Amino acid sequence: MPSWPTETKYISHPTTRIDGAAKVTGNARYSSDIQAEGWLYGMILRSKWPAAKITGVNLDQARKMPGIKAAVLVRDLPFTVRFYGEEIAAVAGVSKQACQDALRVIAVTAEEQPFAVRENDAKKPDAPRVWQNGPNYVEPKPHERGDVDAAFGKCAAVIEGFYTTPVQIHNPMETHGNTVSWTDDGVTAWSSTQGISSVRDGLAGSLRLEHSKVRVITDFMGGGFGAKFGAGVEGMLAAKLSQQAKAPVRLMLTRFDQNLAVGNRPSSFQKIKLGAAADGTLLAFEMNNYGTAGIGAGSNQGGGGGGADIPAPYLYKVGSSRVSQAAVAVNAGSSRAFRAPGNPPASFGMESALDDLAVKLGMDPLELRLKNDPNPVRQREYKLGAEKFGWKQKYRKPGSSPGVIKTGIGCAASAWPAGGPSRNTHGEAQINPDGSIEFRLGVQDIGTGTKTVIAVVAAEMLKLKPEQITVKVGDTRFPPGPGSGGSTTCASISPTVYDICEKALDQLQTLSGIADARGENWFAACKKIGVNPLLVSGKWIEGLSSNPAGGVQFAEVEVDTETGLVTVKKMLGVHDCGLLIDTLTLESQINGGIIMGMGYALYEERVMDDLSGVVLNPNFETYKLPGIADVPEIEVVLINMPERGVIGIGEPATVPTAGAIGNAVANALGVRIGSLPITPAKVLAALGKVPNVHA
Amino acid sequence: MKAFQYATAYSPASARELVGDQGAYIAGGNDLLSLLKDYLASPDTLVNIKSLPGLNTVERGEKSWKIGSLVTIAQLENDPEVKRVFPGLNDAAAEIASLQIRNVATVGGNLAQHSRCWYFRHPDVPCLKKHGGLCYARNSENRYHSLFSGNDCISPVVSSLATTFAALDATAVVLRDGQELRWNMAALYEEAWKNPYAHNSLKPGDLIVRVEIPTVRSRSAYMQVSDKHTFDWALVSCAAAAEVVDGKLKSPRVALGSISPRPHEVAAANDFLDGKVLDDSVAEHAAEMIMRDARPFEFNGYKIPMARALIRRTLLKLKGDA
Repeated sequence: MPSWPTETKYISHPTTRIDGAAKVTGNARYSSDIQAEGWLYGMILRSKWPAAKITGVNLDQARKMPGIKAAVLVRDLPFTVRFYGEEIAAVAGVSKQACQDALRVIAVTAEEQPFAVRENDAKKPDAPRVWQNGPNYVEPKPHERGDVDAAFGKCAAVIEGFYTTPVQIHNPMETHGNTVSWTDDGVTAWSSTQGISSVRDGLAGSLRLEHSKVRVITDFMGGGFGAKFGAGVEGMLAAKLSQQAKAPVRLMLTRFDQNLAVGNRPSSFQKIKLGAAADGTLLAFEMNNYGTAGIGAGSNQGGGGGGADIPAPYLYKVGSSRVSQAAVAVNAGSSRAFRAPGNPPASFGMESALDDLAVKLGMDPLELRLKNDPNPVRQREYKLGAEKFGWKQKYRKPGSSPGVIKTGIGCAASAWPAGGPSRNTHGEAQINPDGSIEFRLGVQDIGTGTKTVIAVVAAEMLKLKPEQITVKVGDTRFPPGPGSGGSTTCASISPTVYDICEKALDQLQTLSGIADARGENWFAACKKIGVNPLLVSGKWIEGLSSNPAGGVQFAEVEVDTETGLVTVKKMLGVHDCGLLIDTLTLESQINGGIIMGMGYALYEERVMDDLSGVVLNPNFETYKLPGIADVPEIEVVLINMPERGVIGIGEPATVPTAGAIGNAVANALGVRIGSLPITPAKVLAALGKVPNVHA
Repeated sequence: MKAFQYATAYSPASARELVGDQGAYIAGGNDLLSLLKDYLASPDTLVNIKSLPGLNTVERGEKSWKIGSLVTIAQLENDPEVKRVFPGLNDAAAEIASLQIRNVATVGGNLAQHSRCWYFRHPDVPCLKKHGGLCYARNSENRYHSLFSGNDCISPVVSSLATTFAALDATAVVLRDGQELRWNMAALYEEAWKNPYAHNSLKPGDLIVRVEIPTVRSRSAYMQVSDKHTFDWALVSCAAAAEVVDGKLKSPRVALGSISPRPHEVAAANDFLDGKVLDDSVAEHAAEMIMRDARPFEFNGYKIPMARALIRRTLLKLKGDA
């Protein structure tokens, strides 16, 4: 069995990103920077109606506008649009302004239809149907484990709570988009994607081309968080425009577009009943949950259905449980996978309920967790975290903090069942006689440091320095690898690079006669390769990676009880992900996960207007994200477990943050705010300070 | 945006001539360019006023300061004399937007900026302010909207300088066809109070040239609460100013932003405060008077307790070390 080196110079140590300088100097060329020879701008005409039958679209005027080279429909007429912002047509032209002017002269004939954009409205039996052949919501059947009613009867304490989480929109720094060039030789797409292979296959499918005729390139991309696995409608439109215009077309979404149509995390409305024995042992759990995945709820069942379910009961061991949940379809953009799908809302609901139960039991909430978390790693993390955080010294009974500005603490945990490898990960290295070496893997670096991980593992294995390793990823001409989702990339590529290195060393030994080609012997051994470089292929091998990962987080907050403002003073995260590769990019991932979780806890929320059916906040002015002044001291504690091999960390880092912050706010106030985001308005309402108004 | 002519003016008279009836003045351009990009305004001419003489200076008189309308927010934020004489103005400037915006945004532009209402700013919602038939905010998402309004539109004034200038009893000097009009803040926003289509009282071609602030109120303070800690609009803002003589308030004024189409001022509360020694109960009573007639909608009732807290705190800041 292969095994990772035990004495390491780079693995489990901090290494600066190998492309950091290129990124901060602007030399890194992101998908949105691509300027292919003779390229045009592309832009999309979107529905102004939340629901309508589109019966006519006249592109003639647009085609005659100055600088316009192509105009295409999204599909054949007539067709139905089901949300404000759904794609109707697209144009390509020599400037953004030319495209904008052209979009404004496209005449669209539409039969407006009634719509429902809010979960509670869409759930009603007489609500306008999002999908014509089924209702928006179907009462779910409960899944029962054990005798729940009997178990509740045995509980010493039972709480009932209503915990809600909003639709969170994917807003990576780089919007969705592609530059597509379609010539007789095939299609080349420079895509902002998490999955070059899935984009290639998707584009080939929708354009009816052989997969081998499509090449996808992603040198640098600015984040995806689960929403960028396909070429999307925007990629397909860019390709059609390119074909018609006979020129490459760059079609990057605007921030406005980004907030309408390319992904979000479903909402949740969780009614939870939780009961425990007097010693805190959880005996019974009941949950009724619904949420919306936009038009993604039930599109395949012809009505309400899946798409917004969350794991429940989350993470903790409960004797008996009854869970009913279903998605409700609304006239809004579809959800997509979003960093740890299902987990942040599940964590917020369960962790909130747990703290409410702790209050009723008169128990320290940390003790209640230790009592019921079956996972030994998290037990260790809780104890370590509590000590570093000073939980015992800081913990006060809920609401007992004196003064107008109250402090509180809270904690929560995450479990991420994935994080393991994709077995179909391939790669190659080209070793040149001068000792230079280039690794090529058909994966993509979505900003998490994938290239650096490859360099770190290779440097360790070959006893070179990371900066001596050239890394190329993000091209479907390279040996294929998986999409970057589910925290799987690190666990996929690390063993692959290990395999390539082992094979390279074997071959170098044979070629050079030098027993150990690593380190100081490297250049001497490479000299013996001869004229042609050595090309070594490898693939993922067993025994060097595993799953799952998890972690716990602690939050300390201040809440101004007169203005309602919540200030996070400190976050502490204790996380495990097996063998740590680059501790610097790893900490960076956890910082990012916590900051994203802060956004979920305090600021982010898609606001739908029920009168007009539009998204009211499709911009960073009113779709609020944490800014640097909102971010507190973040302490990251890493548990290195080399014996488990490599595991990914992307998702578990963001799961427990909102639960921990929500619990800290409840601890400060002595009142639960069960609805995210926790805004000043909600704090003041929870404190009973807001006059009731009937609309 | 629609195509436009661009011209630079070197005198107020030529600026007026160039701007015509369909043009717009541009200085920092922060608000104007976003209105243009969203097709919410489509002037035929942009007249660059950055070269108008004398508008980017601060004249420090003993009784009154004259702040040119081209003075940037960053100048107000970084000037130690502003901090000493008008600490409230200094605090208000520091809370505006981001550093990058403060570096180019001007006093005139801050006062003249248009509504931030998310229905108004949305390209596909025909709201009342855009001459549609309906104030959507009244009937739907009104968390950021007004508690007071004299018309059917409930989008509030969001200029934190306007709030502060109101408390300082400042005068905006507006050039209208060669004549100088002198407006206090109530007058500058009077039209927005009455008329759903207006966001201030400026008519096409009107140019704010300076703001005059009396120095008599040696104490001033400004506070706001936003959802976020920086670079976010105030949910409620509050400014207060007064002279303090023998521990007693003299000529006190309180004004609030983001809760009314004009800076919200209640003369009776100012009268009540006059001659009082500030303490918690005096401040609380003033807050109660100022917010008494608030008419909340479904989602903005939280602004009432928030405003009351801010009024109390801002007033108590006037006590300073005295």
